[in-house]
Amino acid sequence: MLFRILKNSFLKRPKAVFLIFLSITMGAAVATAFLGIAGEVSHKMALELRSYGANILIEPSAAEGGGFLREEDLPKIKTVFWKYNITGFAPYLFGIAEFSSGGKRERGVVSGTWFAKQLEVPGEDVSTQGVKGIAPWWEVQGRWPEDADEAIIGAALAKRLNVASGGEVTALVKGRRQLFRIVGIVTTGGYEEEQLFAPLVTVQTLLLQTGKVSRVQVSALTVPMDDFGKKDPSTMSKDEYEKWYCTAYVTSVAKNVEEVMAGSRAKPVWQIASAEGALLNKLNSVMLLLTVLALGASATSVSTSLMASMAERSKEIALMKAVGADRFQISSIFIGETLIISVVGGIVGYFIGDQLAEVISRTVFNSTIASPLWLFPTAIISAFVVAIAGSIAPLRRALLVEPVKVLKG
Amino acid sequence: MAASIIETTGLTRSYGDICALKPLDLLVPEGEWLSVMGHSGSGKSTFMNLVGGLDRPTSGSLQVGGENLLALSEDGLARFRREFVGIIFQQHHLVPYLTAVENVMMAQYFHSVPDEAEARFALERVGLGHRLKNRPGELSGGEQQRVCIARAIINSPKLLLGDEPTGNLDHKSTIMVMELLKELRAEENFTVIMVTHNQEVAAWGDRTIYLDDGILVREERLVKTDEG
Repeated sequence: MLFRILKNSFLKRPKAVFLIFLSITMGAAVATAFLGIAGEVSHKMALELRSYGANILIEPSAAEGGGFLREEDLPKIKTVFWKYNITGFAPYLFGIAEFSSGGKRERGVVSGTWFAKQLEVPGEDVSTQGVKGIAPWWEVQGRWPEDADEAIIGAALAKRLNVASGGEVTALVKGRRQLFRIVGIVTTGGYEEEQLFAPLVTVQTLLLQTGKVSRVQVSALTVPMDDFGKKDPSTMSKDEYEKWYCTAYVTSVAKNVEEVMAGSRAKPVWQIASAEGALLNKLNSVMLLLTVLALGASATSVSTSLMASMAERSKEIALMKAVGADRFQISSIFIGETLIISVVGGIVGYFIGDQLAEVISRTVFNSTIASPLWLFPTAIISAFVVAIAGSIAPLRRALLVEPVKVLKG
Repeated sequence: MAASIIETTGLTRSYGDICALKPLDLLVPEGEWLSVMGHSGSGKSTFMNLVGGLDRPTSGSLQVGGENLLALSEDGLARFRREFVGIIFQQHHLVPYLTAVENVMMAQYFHSVPDEAEARFALERVGLGHRLKNRPGELSGGEQQRVCIARAIINSPKLLLGDEPTGNLDHKSTIMVMELLKELRAEENFTVIMVTHNQEVAAWGDRTIYLDDGILVREERLVKTDEG
């Protein structure tokens, strides 16, 4: 009988039913789209944020007392548990040199590094590592060095030495001399503008530090730090440590890298990591807020439509009460109606939302996204939530209908 | 003498400053057909609504079928209405999107379990076996009223309330409806409270009480005839 009442009620009031259906569908669609792209947006944004610079710094461990890391350990960075989260790294070897160009002389820092090195690691895909990948904000007037005697020079140092792209700079270290052909002037806005950057192997030879590096900057995709991530791993239980280690916190990725670099200490670059974390948290909060607002707007719309519908149906409600329907029976009819609409609205909303997420992803990130499986039940639940929230006020009004007043002859 | 199905003592109903029903003491024996007459605003519908559990008294006591209606919650009153009372309205009040048989089944649904065969039988008893699948808009006033009667009796109520049940019917339909109620009452032996301003309709009952400005001013015991 309930089915007959519901079926006839739907058929009798197609416009009202359609309005409620539309509201629920839109709510479910927006929730699906926002939640669907929220995870993807975080991932894409994390990738974009890698242009902030490296977020992990590997230095020689003070306990080891060596003062240098081994270049031969570098490929191991691409073999660690979090290797797919590591988007790039660059080693540096620093030394003090006497630079001279033309008639000018100046003491300064010579940095050996990888600019864009093809790294082959057994069992892994070939990757390109170096400054060019992890520091995309570096502006090079000219080009990046390709040969062993080519170098780029920081803009401030170049100005003082009065050297331009195409010029030459001689670096003198303890009697050893290396002539560099300057192929680019680099502007970074930071301390790098005071240095000369040359291929790592050349600087190792100049400094007599073959196979050694002073530090490594690592750029890794990480998740925002939460309270658990901030805990000291040394105080964690075994299960906690496992959970921490298997979560891409910047601290756990740093720990992971540290384990493969002999005599190293890896630490997060907190100003980068925390800024990224805060931004991603805010982004997720905005997505969640938009979802809640969209669902709230849908629930309000459902409520308005149902309220109008209840006003039209007050005589019917009064009659049901007069022939003995109690509050539960009245509620089950009206909630039943709304829930049926919400199931259909949730299913339709899911498919619309899925397409909407696809369009947004393609427009904003120029890529497609794969809908996670949990999104379908989430869309249905969203539709239920909208339906129930939107039904509360109209149902209260329905339950307050007094047969005596409404059915008065 | 039969036991009382309705007992009221000092029963009143006020709406703000307006007293629609002044202290009323009344006994209605089981199986009686009581007609309630009076002008508009005399309190007769108020009385019927109180007895049917559709409204709550302001003061006094009201026992119907052994139930103290003042003590019942809202859902308790709903249960009382579906289990004990059948109501026939002047304006029929059928659900427009349900067929005749579905309107009857709706009362079954709220009472217990819908039984289409039983609902069909109830409609056949009121002479609407050929109109089962018609919606209210496709029925005449008299036919709608007969659906209303079928709905009122489907759960075998102990008390049948009629609020001007023939008020919107022509004379021929009125006689038809009253005859039907008489037959059903003879079969089911329910108590009837019939509110009317029509002397001829009131004469179908066993007793008539007259209300004026909320006060019971007179009562008459009627001599039964086959013509009503």
